[in-house]
Amino acid sequence: MKRAIFGWDKGILVFLVLTTIVGSFVTPYFANASNFSFVIQDIGEFMLMAIPMTFLIIAGEIDLSIGSTICLSSAALGYSYRQGIPFWLCLVIALVVGLLCGLINGILVTYFGLQSLAVTIGTLALYRGLCFVLLGNQPVNQMPLSYTDLGSNSIPHTFLPYVTILIFIFGAMGWIALHYSRLGRWTFAVGINVEAAKFSGIPVMRLKLALFAMTGLMAGVAGIVYTFRFASASPDGATGYELSVIASVLFGGVSIAGGVGTMWGVLAAVLELGVIRSVLQLINVSANTLLVVSGGLLLLSVAVPRAIEISRSRRKLVSIEKKG
Amino acid sequence: MVTEAVPVLTISGATKNFGGVRALNGASLSLFKGEIHALLGENGAGKSTLLKTLAGVHRLDSGEIILDGKVFHEGSTKLAREQGIAVIYQEPNLFPDLTLAENVFAGRQLQLNHGKFVDWAGMQSAAQELFNQLGVPLNPRSKARGLSIADQQIVEIAKALSLNAKVIVMDEPTAALSSKEVERLFTVARGLAARDAAVVFVSHRLDEVFELTTRITVMRDGATVGTGITLDLTEKDVIHMMVGREISDLYPKIVTTPGRVVLSVKELAHDGLFENISFDVHAGEIVALAGLVGSGRSEIARAIFGIDKYTHGTITMNENRLAIGSPSESMAAGIALVPEDRRQQGLFMAASIAKNVSVTVLKRLQRGFWLQSKSEERTATSWGETLELKYADITDPVERLSGGNQQKIVLAKWLATKPSLLIIDEPTRGIDVGTKAQVHRLLSDEASKGLAILMISSELPEVLGMADRILVMREGVMVQELSRSEATSEKVIAAATGAVTV
Amino acid sequence: MKIILSRLVAVREVPVFLALLLVLIVTGIANPQFVSASGAQDIFLGVAVIATLCVGQTFVITMRHIDLSVGSTAGFTAYMIGKVSGDHHGLGISLLVALAIGLLVGAVNGFLVAYLRLPSLVVTLASLWIVRGIFNQVAGGNTITDNQVPSALGYLGRHSFAYIPYIFIIAFALVLFASFIMHSSRPARDLYAMGSNPPASELAGIPVIKRTFFAFLASGAVSGLGGAILLARFHSADSNSGLGLELNVIAACVVGGVAVAGGVGTPYGALIGALLLQSITQALGALGVSQFWQLAVNGVLLISAISLDRYLTLRIKPTRILRVKS
Repeated sequence: MKRAIFGWDKGILVFLVLTTIVGSFVTPYFANASNFSFVIQDIGEFMLMAIPMTFLIIAGEIDLSIGSTICLSSAALGYSYRQGIPFWLCLVIALVVGLLCGLINGILVTYFGLQSLAVTIGTLALYRGLCFVLLGNQPVNQMPLSYTDLGSNSIPHTFLPYVTILIFIFGAMGWIALHYSRLGRWTFAVGINVEAAKFSGIPVMRLKLALFAMTGLMAGVAGIVYTFRFASASPDGATGYELSVIASVLFGGVSIAGGVGTMWGVLAAVLELGVIRSVLQLINVSANTLLVVSGGLLLLSVAVPRAIEISRSRRKLVSIEKKG
Repeated sequence: MVTEAVPVLTISGATKNFGGVRALNGASLSLFKGEIHALLGENGAGKSTLLKTLAGVHRLDSGEIILDGKVFHEGSTKLAREQGIAVIYQEPNLFPDLTLAENVFAGRQLQLNHGKFVDWAGMQSAAQELFNQLGVPLNPRSKARGLSIADQQIVEIAKALSLNAKVIVMDEPTAALSSKEVERLFTVARGLAARDAAVVFVSHRLDEVFELTTRITVMRDGATVGTGITLDLTEKDVIHMMVGREISDLYPKIVTTPGRVVLSVKELAHDGLFENISFDVHAGEIVALAGLVGSGRSEIARAIFGIDKYTHGTITMNENRLAIGSPSESMAAGIALVPEDRRQQGLFMAASIAKNVSVTVLKRLQRGFWLQSKSEERTATSWGETLELKYADITDPVERLSGGNQQKIVLAKWLATKPSLLIIDEPTRGIDVGTKAQVHRLLSDEASKGLAILMISSELPEVLGMADRILVMREGVMVQELSRSEATSEKVIAAATGAVTV
Repeated sequence: MKIILSRLVAVREVPVFLALLLVLIVTGIANPQFVSASGAQDIFLGVAVIATLCVGQTFVITMRHIDLSVGSTAGFTAYMIGKVSGDHHGLGISLLVALAIGLLVGAVNGFLVAYLRLPSLVVTLASLWIVRGIFNQVAGGNTITDNQVPSALGYLGRHSFAYIPYIFIIAFALVLFASFIMHSSRPARDLYAMGSNPPASELAGIPVIKRTFFAFLASGAVSGLGGAILLARFHSADSNSGLGLELNVIAACVVGGVAVAGGVGTPYGALIGALLLQSITQALGALGVSQFWQLAVNGVLLISAISLDRYLTLRIKPTRILRVKS
């Protein structure tokens, strides 16, 4: 089963390269600096959120509230600024809010023992509800340009938007943490067999709490990125983001059952979906086709490993029957 | 009351291999209608394999099963049920959210004469009728969740009755029951026999066997060693049949002089599970916790390692008191636990050998925060050599290996932590003879190097061959301590089953 | 205390019902307009679509699955009814279209989950997108306006019988019917077994694959009907119709006692859950509380419902080894 997914990861990379090449041929507007910049901006928050979500799903959990957390961090940012708090402090507040949201999720799942799927639907509503409480119907639009320009401009002398820095830093950290650290090993262990993990001395509750907290904190970061990009904080921002992030993670080869996946597969998958969207947009295929395509790819990402698994077990059965 | 001369069930020449392990070696059994038949044998004697074959889980490699004059179709639980076999397990598998009546009729709910609608009243009264027949006043309308094990068993028996089962197997049914509930179960069993079913009663509790059953069959090493009428046999006879073989030199034990006290357990208790447990383990010593399956030994092991919390008493490691319920602290204090259930608790089946061996020593393998697969592979390879592990590639998933090799991996994983105390629960369960000897040799070696070992085992030869001291548990209480020189199989089983009051 | 609570709650729907009564009473005292006939009418109107969709979702959740595609399916159906029938065809065509689309989506979901054994979360997430994508493509920027709504539907959506809107009556009837089926039909009882103890249900000889497939089929069909109700309620439909509805439906189910872990819950419980959530929404307004608290309150409710459920079902008796001294 692991082998099948390994093949899938490499497949994503190949797919990514292919679509990029095909895209450049299919439309002249694709392969240029400003478009690449646009693509990266477009997927910025998804990239950032896919990193902690990968850890969560590999560990056998899920978080449906991240869109609302992003919105709440953004709302808290805007609200604080409206109250006259210095902007840099508002950024800190946004991060703290994100962290708190993640911690609450974590406590509900570990200490209260509630199922993450159900409980994060609840916090999805709660956190977004708090956005409305904070901002009402009024988005906060007046923000210092020196900051929000970071959301639209590129790093000097490059075509890369500033968010690329964050993507690189967190992407690298996530990749190292997942594959080259004790935290990562523990995450996989818990996802493969939580009982054996306990019997191996792994502090399962603490680990899951940390993963949820990490997710919340990243949502805070993503909330800041979102606010800068749109130069405003509004109560209905980032709606539906959670499903897109989960889909990207699954498309990147992470199994929904837990215990399997790679970080570069996920990062490639997010990039891939951004590239596909860009290409389709540029050849004037509607965004709707993209939705259909995303859905189809998501299905493939679970159907293909399953098909391989079925054929493998059929072969095993045959060989057993031959022996006995 | 035995009413017929022709058996309703005959098993003859049953043979079954699992990988390299011969679980059944020409076993036989014959059951008559209306009898309560005890099936006895130590752990590993082949009882459960035989029963699982009857239940439809396994297929025999060779041998014959005749049920009610017809050849028995093996290999399907559904078919087994349809042919009239019912098995009541120690821990029944009901639907917690459904009512008792629904549980009895799960999947085949009674229907009203017209249409596909459920006949609730009918099911209710049919279930009530069954419960009444069994003499147990259960309410068919209540949900199964929260029902005691004893009551759950009654529901399963009711189900068997409603399926017109010809053979009802009770697999260690009394392990989790209070004495009152045991009496109730006996009455039910006698009622079943009176109704011409054949009841198979699997139990280690000799006192119960002699009280309830009409005939006894004893198995050993996968074969049937004796059958007789209960009234004609004594406990001594039975124990002798169960244990019979000579203790060979399969267990190369190096005699050591025990060092200082490593583990000290005082008055350890956990409500409902065990009480008043006190013992010490010295460096270089192998202490065996003997007793029947379900006597509370694994629970004690888990309490010492910190997986479970306990309610009373103290545990001290090298004179430092251990915190309750913290595996990481126990590990830091030098305790290692090789658990009872290799597949569920000891290993990550889908993960590689390298990852499995290294998971306990990740901190040591780290350089700063950086951890490389290479270091995991090196650790695993080196331990693999020490333990003579047989594998193709160190990155292969553990599930590919044989049971014996899998156990070696669990051992490696824990020995790598350089523990002061190794708790090992059923060290050689489900392992082939060759690897068994290797494991024993390893344990003996480690003890001679100063490791304190607490060994839980239900296999008498292993206990007698390996242990410096034997502590016998029965139903959550420590009933006897035997030194290596004075211990015999009879004494151990006698203490474990309570056949002889000590 | 636990025992008393659990006895009281032996019927799963009791706490939700009590909560609903509480909300009605408290709000009614503060603002009598709330419990007037027209106040009730508003609540019923608001709940009709969700209540319908809850029926299908209950089938699916009790099996320990989930169906995220209901919102997209309902929205798409609403639009297609308008497009296909205009205003000169009646109820018949509407229902046909609704069922056709719903059954198609349900069949695809069911096939993938039951026969290929793919996780339902992933499958229905994918179909949520695929259906929405096709829907948006077909609809473009168009809107189904009032004059394209079949007159029968339009009538049902606008009128009431003794202050109870017709669409609610329809939804209610559907809920009653579904509750009856889930109580008394043999295949439906199997769904409960499957959710309660999946491995044991195979052993008990329950045809798991068949049941799973039909449950998703039913959920799809119900979503189609929900689309008809949606159109009737709003007299319009566009590419945003039904957006996000699935989460409201799941919330209503969970609050109403249909546990995500499966094996329990009924459509009428889900209905009470939906009524509770809707009442709170309107109660906030009636109490002069800023409506901006509504979503947050829903969230807290949902979390409380899940916690309460867990607290009460944690009654598994632990194993005993020590002989009871009796």
